[in-house]
Amino acid sequence: MTRPYVPWLLLAVALALAAVYLFPLYWMYITSLKSGSEIFANPPTFWPREADPSVYGAVWSRRTMSTFLWNSTLIAAGVTAITVIFGTGCAYVLARYRNVWVDVGLFAILMLQVLPASVMVTPLFVAFNQFGLLNYPRTAVVLAAAAKAMPFFVVLVRATFMTVPRELEEAALVDGNSRMGAFFSIVLPLARNGILVCAILTFMSSFGEYIYSKSIIQDPSLQPASVGLSGFLGPNSTDWNSIMAYSAIYVTPILAVFVLLQRRIVSGLTSGALK
Amino acid sequence: MKHHRIRVSEFGWGEGAFSSSLKRRLLHPKCFAIRLLPQREGWSAARLGGLMQRFLSGLRDGVGFDILLISIAMLFLIAMAGLPLVYNVLMSFQQVDMFTLGSFIRPFAGIQNYIDVVRQPEFWLVTRNTAVFVFFSMAGQFVLGFALALFFAQKFPGAATIRGLFLVSWVMPGLVVGAIWSWILAGDFGVLNAILKSLGIIQSNIFWKSDPSVSIWAVIIANIWLGLAFNMLLLSVGLAGISRDLYEAAELDGANAFQRFWTITLPMMRSTIGAVLSLGLIGTLQQFDLFPAITEGGPANTSTVAQYWSWQMSFQLYDFAKGATISVMMLVLVLFASIIYVRSTRHEVRG
Repeated sequence: MTRPYVPWLLLAVALALAAVYLFPLYWMYITSLKSGSEIFANPPTFWPREADPSVYGAVWSRRTMSTFLWNSTLIAAGVTAITVIFGTGCAYVLARYRNVWVDVGLFAILMLQVLPASVMVTPLFVAFNQFGLLNYPRTAVVLAAAAKAMPFFVVLVRATFMTVPRELEEAALVDGNSRMGAFFSIVLPLARNGILVCAILTFMSSFGEYIYSKSIIQDPSLQPASVGLSGFLGPNSTDWNSIMAYSAIYVTPILAVFVLLQRRIVSGLTSGALK
Repeated sequence: MKHHRIRVSEFGWGEGAFSSSLKRRLLHPKCFAIRLLPQREGWSAARLGGLMQRFLSGLRDGVGFDILLISIAMLFLIAMAGLPLVYNVLMSFQQVDMFTLGSFIRPFAGIQNYIDVVRQPEFWLVTRNTAVFVFFSMAGQFVLGFALALFFAQKFPGAATIRGLFLVSWVMPGLVVGAIWSWILAGDFGVLNAILKSLGIIQSNIFWKSDPSVSIWAVIIANIWLGLAFNMLLLSVGLAGISRDLYEAAELDGANAFQRFWTITLPMMRSTIGAVLSLGLIGTLQQFDLFPAITEGGPANTSTVAQYWSWQMSFQLYDFAKGATISVMMLVLVLFASIIYVRSTRHEVRG
């Protein structure tokens, strides 16, 4: 009783579901191309009458987006560097041993993973203020956000290290490598892809970091793009085509990376996320 | 060669390897005496150099290497997350205002902060909003995510790729998601009202963001969209782990689709569902970015939830003590959720 049309019917339904789900993204791009009067048309037009991309250039220069995006990139790069350098070794040790200390460490890391940033921001701000770190606000944000990003990274990368067979490492030790040598020349190269995917995920999520930056960085020339967006966004905003153009510029690089690496990201998440 | 063999056997991974080898080194009387106590020569430079070398080679080649790797990360996390957490609890019992903000010793306030927070006129409104936000966000994310996961578990071309596209919401900055939904939900020109009207579901515009009775729903809708994909992905993993044989056997026994779902899928997914629900609770309590982007907690606090209220206290009213107090209260809730999470994933973590 095989019905050959069923898979294609399911495919059609799946595409329709995806279209509904991704409609907000479509609406962002379409709105950004509409003219200032067309966005208030009633009923709304689902395809711009005349596409006008000039708002992109205007938003870019008027909102000093190059500064904002540069700061976002700096912060995300700093967070990723700290997370990868500190987190990889930690994940390796947690993957290699099985004892009560590892259980304690894992439990602590799972607990840290669940702490909301909104809970941590008050004590961090007060402590940074006392230690004078608020004079280096971007560094302060990088430190705070790295502590937020690291637990998730460790959990995912640990799952990657679990897939590297111990026998390979032991063979390297028999051949005269030190532990350090075996780690750098055998284990790390084998886990490279998993670490890379997790590093990209860390970069993407800290590229959109908002709450720490908003609370800690007061100087507009040091703020990232998320804070820049919040500057002209609120319950009473009307400047919707500029806001959508800003959002589109901000989010398109992330979307491009995601589409390119989609398969790897999904498989990296499914191997580690539930664990 | 002999040297290596000894080391590898001593090196033994597995249960208790770490603590037992450490114990052996530290507690064995002979080893202790030889390694740490200079017996005849005294503390000569050469001896110190030897000790130093042994220490360095331990870092490079022994348990020291592992301890070094893990302690850097742990020290960082303790400094940036553990201590601030303790500090937060401490501040909730202190008098913290603009004058004492920079000083290390502040007057003790007892539980006065907690009394003040509960006596705030908006306290019960915020509590109710938090409960509504958490419950309906989780319910929406879970039900829709489960439905989609079941749908994408069917076999058809491109299922995995199309399912992966849904995850795009998860990598987007929260503030951008908030901006887009803020525009979709706009009262007079928002596209959602236009669609609902053309479908005949509503007669007049709903002012999602400015009507006090629905403003919390504006954020809930956006949050369901945001968290749906991650729920679906985790549930898909759980579904893929159920053996097909079970379903075939049930089918032979004449169980219909509903019975198969009820007697096989749900019981087999119990630990996955526990993990997804507790992650959903944690994720919902972590959700912050949508509030400043969509409603800013308004109108009149009708869409303020605990995490946003705590932030407003600290960074808009500069009442850091109350901000810390609210976040400690919230933390209790988060710890409760994370205990469920850890319990439901424990065996998988170790596996």
